[in-house]
Amino acid sequence: MNRKVILWIAANAFAVALALSTAWAARVGDRAPDFTATDSTGKVHKLSEYAGKYVVLEWHNRGCPYTAKHYDSGNMQRLQHEWTARGVIWLTVISSAPGRQGYITAADENTFLKQSNAVPTAVLLDPTGALGHLYDAKTTPQMFIIDPHGTLIYNGAIDDRATTDVADINGAKDYVSLALGEALAGKPVGTSSTRPYGCSVKYPD
Amino acid sequence: MTSRSNSPRSASLLFLALALSLLFAPGVSAQSAPGTHANIQLVSEEKSVRPSAPFWVGILFQLDPGWHIYWQNPGDSGEPPKIEWQLPPGFRAGAIRWPCPIRLGTASVRDYGYEGQVLLMTSIEPPPNFTPTSPVSIAANVKYVVCREICIPGKSDVTLSLPPNYLPFVEASPSQGLFRITIALLPKPLPSAWKASAKSVGDHFILSLKGPGSADQIMFFPLDRSVIENAAPQNVESDHGVVRLTLKKSEQLVKPVSALRGVISLDQYRVFEIAVPVKSL
Repeated sequence: MNRKVILWIAANAFAVALALSTAWAARVGDRAPDFTATDSTGKVHKLSEYAGKYVVLEWHNRGCPYTAKHYDSGNMQRLQHEWTARGVIWLTVISSAPGRQGYITAADENTFLKQSNAVPTAVLLDPTGALGHLYDAKTTPQMFIIDPHGTLIYNGAIDDRATTDVADINGAKDYVSLALGEALAGKPVGTSSTRPYGCSVKYPD
Repeated sequence: MTSRSNSPRSASLLFLALALSLLFAPGVSAQSAPGTHANIQLVSEEKSVRPSAPFWVGILFQLDPGWHIYWQNPGDSGEPPKIEWQLPPGFRAGAIRWPCPIRLGTASVRDYGYEGQVLLMTSIEPPPNFTPTSPVSIAANVKYVVCREICIPGKSDVTLSLPPNYLPFVEASPSQGLFRITIALLPKPLPSAWKASAKSVGDHFILSLKGPGSADQIMFFPLDRSVIENAAPQNVESDHGVVRLTLKKSEQLVKPVSALRGVISLDQYRVFEIAVPVKSL
């Protein structure tokens, strides 16, 4: 190996090491991380059991005004109803730590579901934040869509109006429905990665 | 554990003193409702309007301890305040001048914003050949979210009436000091003798800066969302007068970026705007 090459490697060793370092938790195009989590009825779910189906992960905190915008208006319930009716598995995830906003017992969550007419397939309770960290969920709401092959095809915001105003739902670009509509029609997802908007996920400090 | 404040203490105290003096000053509107954690005022640097001369106005946010609002790039969560100006015909408002933010949040969810108080200023330009003969009314609709452990959305309509200035000099308002301090601390262009460069290396950017002496508190605040991973530590290396910052790319970054734009903070007083083309390795 000549001197020039050795010098190049020495000068760029740090950069080369960086290039080889592990990438991200849940990047669109990568395999969605498999998980095991328990829902509000005590049932255990594994992502791998949903192979062959589309799966939506919806990070949730009912006290967050951005989440409340989509629940008070019925928008989230509409999305859950429309897409589960088409065979999509919809998993709401609550990663709030005990004592922090959004933390809720299974019983209270089941009451909330009834009162709000929310119809996800299940609500996964993640008080340790393990599932949240696995997907690097930052906000509530934050939406992930996994295709039948287990590939992450959407990660980001619920729509393109980053406000707490219910009035902004009408006319907003509904990223979730757009992605699912395109994917189900066999087309590539046009907008697959957006910066999610909402309150921070309340992980344990 | 959490945020690292880089707001100047002595400037902060002076700012607070000046801000408090505004609560009873003329030419200032105060808007706050109990429990909202943010007192919002529309303030003007001058207490009157001169013929054909632009003047500074600003929205002053005074926040309860521990509560914050967000920078133009809020980071991982939250949203910046939105200000909609209502001006007389022919008047124009410039862009908001954002002071350097501080880091907020945790190692999981990292945001950029302000605690304590912050003045978001803008220049108001009267139409050409404008001669004030009656009071000029400036108004703003301010929408924001103020957060601590939880987030509370807020909305405020503020107005200000400025009489004509018939004198041959500026009439300072009680908030002139506030504007002066804010202007002094706004991000400046990089000194021409300094050199900044950036390269893309795998899943990181390396931002290099040649010129400043010591820079162990250097921090980069990205202007564009979803470019860098806000929660990742910014590793700093110094080597023969060149400071290198390693910035992890955002998970949401799907296309190459042509430039890294944002604010570099060396310390509380040396804050610079940068826009550096990115070279691919």
